Amino acid sequence: MASPRRHQRRLFWLLPLALLPLPLFLDQYQQYVVNLMLMYVPVGVGFNVVVGNLGQLAFSNVAFFGVGAYTAGILMAKLGLPWWATVPPAGVMGALAGCAASVPALRGVRSFALAIMTLAFGELMRWTYIRSEWLTGGSMGMAVPASDLLGWRLDLEAHKFYVFLVLATAVVIATDRLLRSRVGRAFMAIKDNETAAAAMGVATGRYYVLGLAWSGFVVGIGGAMYALLVGHLSPDSFNLIELILEFAIIMVGGLGSLVGSVLGALVITATPEIFANFPGFEELIFGLLIVLVILVLPRGLASLLARLHPLFRDRYLEDA
Amino acid sequence: MMLPQLVVSGISTGMLYAVVALSMTVVYKATTVVNFGHGDLVMAGAYAAFVFTAGLGLPFVPGLVLALGVLFLMGLVIERALIAPILAGPHLALAMMALAAGNVLRGAARLEWGRETLMLARPYPQTAFLLGPVVLTMDDIVITGVVTLLLLVLFAVFHLSPVGKIVQAVFQSQRGAALVGINVSAFHGTMWGTGAALGAVGGALLALNTALTPDMGAWTLVRGFAAMTLGGFGSLYGAVLGGVLLGIMEKLLGFYVSTAFIDITAYVVTIAVLLVRPRGLFGSGALRRV
Repeated sequence: MASPRRHQRRLFWLLPLALLPLPLFLDQYQQYVVNLMLMYVPVGVGFNVVVGNLGQLAFSNVAFFGVGAYTAGILMAKLGLPWWATVPPAGVMGALAGCAASVPALRGVRSFALAIMTLAFGELMRWTYIRSEWLTGGSMGMAVPASDLLGWRLDLEAHKFYVFLVLATAVVIATDRLLRSRVGRAFMAIKDNETAAAAMGVATGRYYVLGLAWSGFVVGIGGAMYALLVGHLSPDSFNLIELILEFAIIMVGGLGSLVGSVLGALVITATPEIFANFPGFEELIFGLLIVLVILVLPRGLASLLARLHPLFRDRYLEDA
Repeated sequence: MMLPQLVVSGISTGMLYAVVALSMTVVYKATTVVNFGHGDLVMAGAYAAFVFTAGLGLPFVPGLVLALGVLFLMGLVIERALIAPILAGPHLALAMMALAAGNVLRGAARLEWGRETLMLARPYPQTAFLLGPVVLTMDDIVITGVVTLLLLVLFAVFHLSPVGKIVQAVFQSQRGAALVGINVSAFHGTMWGTGAALGAVGGALLALNTALTPDMGAWTLVRGFAAMTLGGFGSLYGAVLGGVLLGIMEKLLGFYVSTAFIDITAYVVTIAVLLVRPRGLFGSGALRRV
């Protein structure tokens, strides 16, 4: 029996359809920015699963992002694979990085210590990109060759848009399913009270690995999208400024909210493009935004939307 | 025979890490918050010292004292305005808030000075002494001297004066401390200010040796973390010893293995210590607030 609410929620799936004619109205640059927004949807969604839903201070998202991007880039440049064939390996490598990041969590490292450790993991990965010159081109970076999808050119921004739209929609639907399942409820229990969750029989360790691996998988796909979109990978793209950008996405969008991740990706991603000529401005703006959101709007923009209409309320948040 | 020389310059570098770790320990001891924006306070301290000495033309010591004052106020304001309202909340919000506040500082510094390379002029002659096979520079002596002095002062404050009792009381129970008449919020603010001022000492010492950049915060934060983790969270001498050990390890790995390892020693140490012995060398192991 589908509830009326569930019928209403199906309206959401009209959104990607409504976006289909969008490339007709945009010039090359505007289309690039829209593609960038779509690319940050999986990145934000994956980050939010760990931080917002599982409630863990894991700062390793940029590492997953970089692993996915470099996996796609290396497979294309060194082995000559077409881009679409590198998307699954990029996701898998991201998921493996997620499993690696869950090791400290399994050793009982939590809270600030976990944050420090995952931060170190991310910086260690950046060092690896710089030092593996034979594979990644070192600090000079590497060019990602142009590609096609079964003869359909993927160097056109409008074509990238349709591929990205499909991938972003798929990631959102799959994560929605995951969070509304037994797994999502286990995440919620762990976030609220880990000891109580374990006492209820939730195998917390398994869900740590699962949560971080899913996050890594999704963010890794985002990384592959980044490789295609930007066409050039350099270690500097995966530094602490990138981490702050991804933080801003989930904080401003709304912690633990899928609607929030998408909203944050759309709102935040355009900002560095607007302020590209003022180095320092984006850090300042993102910093101020996060401070303001924590103090004034702890549940982010998603909570404003939810106030507007219950349709936007996430069902896997505790107060929903 | 490079070993003695490597150890000596390792100690000197390590003392810089130690002062950053010390300042973070003060903040942690007072509020049980790990300040993810602390590196940027160190950076702000270095720039403040630059503005007062090179910018306004003051002599080094008064300029440094003014910079410490500014950073004290900065730490106080950050704690009062941003951290205090959410102190009882989840660690997540605290970590993000500190990170974001640091980011605001870094963005402001980059807007103002991002395109320039600045150096802090040494207030002492840059001479070197030969002790047997070891070259000892004036920098080494000044850095080691200042940090040792700071450690002694902090040790006296935390272990011999009534302040130490307040720290203990607040660390154990904020509510209990408030009940026996300790002004907990004033204490928190003061300790954040003190931590920021100590960080500024580290920033000024660092700026004597390297160029000022808005990104020096991230660099110092990672090394401060590594030193704190190695020494044990919340331990003053642990922070110093961890910093010194880290400095020596960097030099030894850099010389005997590969210079590429200098950059990642801090990360590897952090990860290894947290996996193998999360409490570090001297820590109490109370990193989890239940």
